[in-house]
Amino acid sequence: MLFNSLEFFIFLPIVFGLYWVIGGKRIKSQNVLIALASYVFYGWWDWRFLSLILFSTLVDYSIGLALGKKEKLKTRKILLWISICVNLGFLGFFKYYNFFIDSLIDSFTFFGSELSINTLNIILPVGISFYTFQTLSYTIDVYNKKLEPTKDFVGFMAFVSFFPQLVAGPIERATNLLPQFSIERKFNYKNAVDGLRQVLWGLFKKIVIADNCAKYANIIFNNHTEYNGSTLLLGAFFFAFQIYGDFSGYSDIAIGVSRLFGFNLKRNFAFPYFSRDIAEFWRRWHISLSTWFRDYLYIPLGGSRGGLKMKIRNTFIIFIVSGFWHGANWTFIIWGALNALYFLPLLLTKKNRINTNLVAEGKYFPTLKELRQMAFTFFITLIAWVFFRADSVAHAFSYLYNMFDTSLFSEIEVLPSTILTLVLFFIATEWLGRSGQYAIEKIDFMKKPIRWAFYILLIILMFSFTGEEQQFIYFQF
Amino acid sequence: MRKLLINISLFFLIAIIIGEIVVRVTHAMSDIPQRTIDEHGIQKYIPNQEGYWKGGDHKWLINKLGWPGVLPESNKNLIMVIGDSFIENFMNPNECHQSAYLKSNMNDYNFMEASRSGVSFIEAMEITKQMDSLNPIHSLIYLDDDDFYESITQIKPMSDITQLDIETNTIKYGEMKSPGLKKILYTWKLMYYFYNRFSLGSLFQPETLNDNSKVKEPEFTTEVIKLIDYVKQNYVTINKTLVFHPNSKKSFIEICKSAGFNTILLDSSNDDSWTFDYDSHWTCYGHKRAAEQISNHLLNSNNQGILNNFNIIKK
Repeated sequence: MLFNSLEFFIFLPIVFGLYWVIGGKRIKSQNVLIALASYVFYGWWDWRFLSLILFSTLVDYSIGLALGKKEKLKTRKILLWISICVNLGFLGFFKYYNFFIDSLIDSFTFFGSELSINTLNIILPVGISFYTFQTLSYTIDVYNKKLEPTKDFVGFMAFVSFFPQLVAGPIERATNLLPQFSIERKFNYKNAVDGLRQVLWGLFKKIVIADNCAKYANIIFNNHTEYNGSTLLLGAFFFAFQIYGDFSGYSDIAIGVSRLFGFNLKRNFAFPYFSRDIAEFWRRWHISLSTWFRDYLYIPLGGSRGGLKMKIRNTFIIFIVSGFWHGANWTFIIWGALNALYFLPLLLTKKNRINTNLVAEGKYFPTLKELRQMAFTFFITLIAWVFFRADSVAHAFSYLYNMFDTSLFSEIEVLPSTILTLVLFFIATEWLGRSGQYAIEKIDFMKKPIRWAFYILLIILMFSFTGEEQQFIYFQF
Repeated sequence: MRKLLINISLFFLIAIIIGEIVVRVTHAMSDIPQRTIDEHGIQKYIPNQEGYWKGGDHKWLINKLGWPGVLPESNKNLIMVIGDSFIENFMNPNECHQSAYLKSNMNDYNFMEASRSGVSFIEAMEITKQMDSLNPIHSLIYLDDDDFYESITQIKPMSDITQLDIETNTIKYGEMKSPGLKKILYTWKLMYYFYNRFSLGSLFQPETLNDNSKVKEPEFTTEVIKLIDYVKQNYVTINKTLVFHPNSKKSFIEICKSAGFNTILLDSSNDDSWTFDYDSHWTCYGHKRAAEQISNHLLNSNNQGILNNFNIIKK
């Protein structure tokens, strides 16, 4: 079930109504409802996927309980590895099996011999990368004794399958979300209104910005040899806003919907395109995944505490794994490696944490230096997005080769002025609202008629610029 | 919770009012004329209506007889132009109607359109019967394959379209389908906008299995022959030209020819600009080309007799 579908607009009020009719004091009943609703939400794509999520839930719940009882390190390690193998096994099989087989066949062919292994016709279960990482965080935290194992199976089931963030995050930590399933949820008017506002902003990002940018990004990327450099640059620009609008829009809707049910999810995006360096960008982009990798991969590997070699190795590992997490394609691996290359100079010169504050805090305009820094950071992310969007590595290099020729400074061949105006409106709104959790959070301080007029404007724009309903990009990851 | 529900309701009420204003001012949806059923059982429009087509570029008009388009200045040498939504042609301005193009090609004749979207072949024949009071010398009936299927109850039963029961040889006149609901829908522009934009109508249609689309549609030749036999016995065919849409079934054209109809098969091959990108209806260009082919056919020296048939019959 897509957030931007009619089904969801019927589904959400029904679940919301039932949830608060049950009341915050009947926690178990509310959790049963959330778990059931989440299974309906997820099964809407393909009911067969439900067996996977149920199995994953059962395994991690049981391992959590076992970890709570066992004190012996060796036994605990075995239990942890069972959880890791089961979860990553599913992920590896469904997402990476064909990639590894194809890569193996390609490498044998490269060395002049032939290998005959058949690939499988596998359907990738929606959101598998997200809930796999979420359940893994539970067993790892229980193993590390940061969290007491839960005995409430329904609560755990609701935690794993919580429908607002099930298929595209934010990837919640068990330490943050799981305890919220065992405490009384009280309806809070301010929270609910704020949640609805965030949902509205998320829908605007998805429907108006992402889907419309997607139309032009697809045209330009799919026919890149026919366009000049400046148009290809615009194509990359459109993709940058497509992926940002799409993914951060989903996160906004997820966080907003969760607030309607009395839950607080982690922030996933913090205006990444206003970053002054790539380190800041990565502190602001897909925060739940970056921190997951930081806590469960980078730090256990030694982080940046070791020598030069270890720093370089760990940086490359985390970025390449992060790229690979996005999909079984060399393009994602190169995208990750490229970001590692961007990040390394800052890490090695210890400048990776110089921009931790809000850009141009308390001011309407940035300084020229900040503007230059933001433009440069955006530009290098744009180059990396070309790899992320391209169908193959060859496609990406060809795109960049055509983009960086002399025609880069010639007239743009595709110039959809309406869409560009909308993107400018979006950037301006995000800039003005950058001190909030999301761009229009602070509108709460304005008078009601102004607020409502703005909401209605967003709704009108949404209906006026609704293209073909597009899947959220991150569902495929 | 109560406060939230009250505020949400109030917000939606205001949003609906503003949305309605926006949809009306920007003509985001076409105005839809209201229909009625006349004393002969023919579904037509309530006379003297006008409204905007989507986008507000041009207006459509329902004349005093209840048909879309402008009436001719005189009924002398009158040729009727009968058909479905292609002839109704709300999507193009009046100057792009078949009657306008035909008049510019055949200045000695006058043309009057009688059309309504969804008209079946048998209904078109019923319309010609009612139009006889205007003494037209000829009628052009625009058809495609579906118009034959939709004429026969046994093939495609449709309560809102006039059909023939080929078992009992009786005409079943179409009834207005949910007129009250339609009136609300067409008046409440915002609702109509949502209905169209998000295909809400399809939610209430039973889903068809994908596999069915692969099954080849039967020809229904026997049924069409029975239909044409009925038409031959109950209507004058000699003063009528059936104008077939490009790619119509040759077998149907032959059946109609054998029943005494004059026929024209339009040709739009290698010419994509006949139809809109978003719609299968003809553009102004398509209408112009169609009218050219029809005029050429009617004025061709070999076919000169066609337009005199009615006078011959009357004599």
